[in-house]
Amino acid sequence: MRVAREHFKSPKGLPVEEYLTPGSPLCAGCGGLTTLRLMHKVLGENVVIVNAAGCMTLLATFPFTPLKSSWLYTTMASASAGAQGVRDALDILRDSGRLPPQEDLQVLVLAGDGSTYDMGLSSTSSAIHRGLDFWYLCYDNEAYGNTGFQLSSASPEASHTSTSIDLIHQRKKDLFEIWRAHHPAYLASVSAHDAVDLAEKVERARSLRGPKLFLSLAVCPTGWGFDPEWGDELAHLAVETGVWPLKEAVAGVVRHTYIPNRFRPIADYLEPQRRFRHLFQPHRNEAVLAQMQAEVDAYWAGLGTESTLTPRAPETEHAPRV
Amino acid sequence: MIRIRFHGRGGHGVKTAGRIVGTAAFLASLQVQDSPVYGAERRGAPVAAFTRFDSAPILERGVIDSPDLIVIADETLLADAGAAVLAGQTSAAAVFVNAPAGARLNEKYQILPPLVTWDITARTQAVLGTASALSAGLAAAAAKLTGLISAEHLLAAVREELRQLRATADVVDKNVTIAAEVFDQLSTVRFAPAASGIAGEVLTVGYEGVNLGTASILAPGNAQQRNTGTWRVERPEIDYDVCTRCGLCQLGCPDGAIKIEKNGFPVIDYDHCKGCMICAQVCPLHGIARTKEVRSW
Repeated sequence: MRVAREHFKSPKGLPVEEYLTPGSPLCAGCGGLTTLRLMHKVLGENVVIVNAAGCMTLLATFPFTPLKSSWLYTTMASASAGAQGVRDALDILRDSGRLPPQEDLQVLVLAGDGSTYDMGLSSTSSAIHRGLDFWYLCYDNEAYGNTGFQLSSASPEASHTSTSIDLIHQRKKDLFEIWRAHHPAYLASVSAHDAVDLAEKVERARSLRGPKLFLSLAVCPTGWGFDPEWGDELAHLAVETGVWPLKEAVAGVVRHTYIPNRFRPIADYLEPQRRFRHLFQPHRNEAVLAQMQAEVDAYWAGLGTESTLTPRAPETEHAPRV
Repeated sequence: MIRIRFHGRGGHGVKTAGRIVGTAAFLASLQVQDSPVYGAERRGAPVAAFTRFDSAPILERGVIDSPDLIVIADETLLADAGAAVLAGQTSAAAVFVNAPAGARLNEKYQILPPLVTWDITARTQAVLGTASALSAGLAAAAAKLTGLISAEHLLAAVREELRQLRATADVVDKNVTIAAEVFDQLSTVRFAPAASGIAGEVLTVGYEGVNLGTASILAPGNAQQRNTGTWRVERPEIDYDVCTRCGLCQLGCPDGAIKIEKNGFPVIDYDHCKGCMICAQVCPLHGIARTKEVRSW
């Protein structure tokens, strides 16, 4: 089941402009880079990216950058605070007539899951709470990929990372719900595999003022352990198995934008990845696989019964400056 | 002190090679330092690792710019000016290149020190079944050329380092086989090891104001000047008789290395395509073929 789309009907209808050139030093087959490239296409050229330390740090490796838009680098914990400063500066310049309105920029925080789920959660919570008018793209590759794939609180159950034993019973943090509890103007999960769904969500968020937050599952050949050519297929399988639901929340109200007619077993998604190899070799760990399948099944069984937050009108103005 | 600088591409195992040599020297009761270049270790991208060992405490830190030995895992790096694999070669007693024995690379790449070649890739392919994990062979070459590390210490270090990387017993054994063979077949080079202490001057780096102390890039999109096409192992080739101009390959390319021409057909930018081959997988009509990139080895 796919929801009706208002803005983009097919891949051919997406904007043709590119705001990232090739030549960046990111890994071949990087799913995070695909997501950023697609999102930037729809956002347009007037963007300033506030980049939390992470894999995407390597976008701009002095003296080169693939970005045609502006870029500011921050520590892992402070990207959303940086976005506040940049937004405020742009507002002051624009309001005082020193920046023509057509040159105003949209502020986009770009952060990985280590920054988003762990270190930067506090500054983002504050920024959403203040109603900051900004975009946020989390490229979630489910570990600290840039430094050698250490465990983050986005790492899924039973996945191997360089700092965890194989069968951790820690669950992936439900950041969508944590963010939703803040009542952001717009919140969505996206996948680079479904470019039209991604573009549609960016376009739907555009008219809203306030925090516009995007969580993207970023397939990671290096950290997950698969041949880069299977990147798009794994992103596809994450959606078709129900592991990565595609949904949005406008002022707190959740809507799933794609629900597979028939879910594929999660093993189809897990087995090709080295980080889950211990669930299949030397013996298939049926107990853990059944438990992980049951958790995905429970999520979808509860669809429609999730507690609906009280809808709240999106922020129309910034919180007053102190 | 002996300073060894390893160059390769992410995935070749130069970081592990540096660690193996470091561990082997440590087992030989030497003082040791080993470190890879941190933060840019992309699969296929040029990477480097550094190993120092000495009988006296090592006071030097950081990258090695006056190497005693340069070990190069991939000949194509010699043609990549950005990788600077021959930087400081005048101090080196030898340059080792993973290439067939007798490969005449000196003049082609202006290699000044004595050149040693041995085809670690072919041997690794034969024993291990993969052409990319070269760490054991590279480490063995470095260890033997210096003449300061025994086979016993080398092989113990191969076992220890690969065990830490969760290699299976079979893979460890095969790497030991490769290391032993490379060690046996190469000869020690005449070294005049540099004195202990610190090469060059010690610099004190002060603080600068934000405009000078912070790197700024003022040329948008200039990454196009970097040639990431050399990362490619396989080359995607579009069959235009099959192509329906659906555009999915263009959308799926992480790097944006596929352009759509005015007539609607996609064109691959081979100066930048990293060879991930996602385009070949997403093409609904299987109209993108793959060919092995031709390498001089």
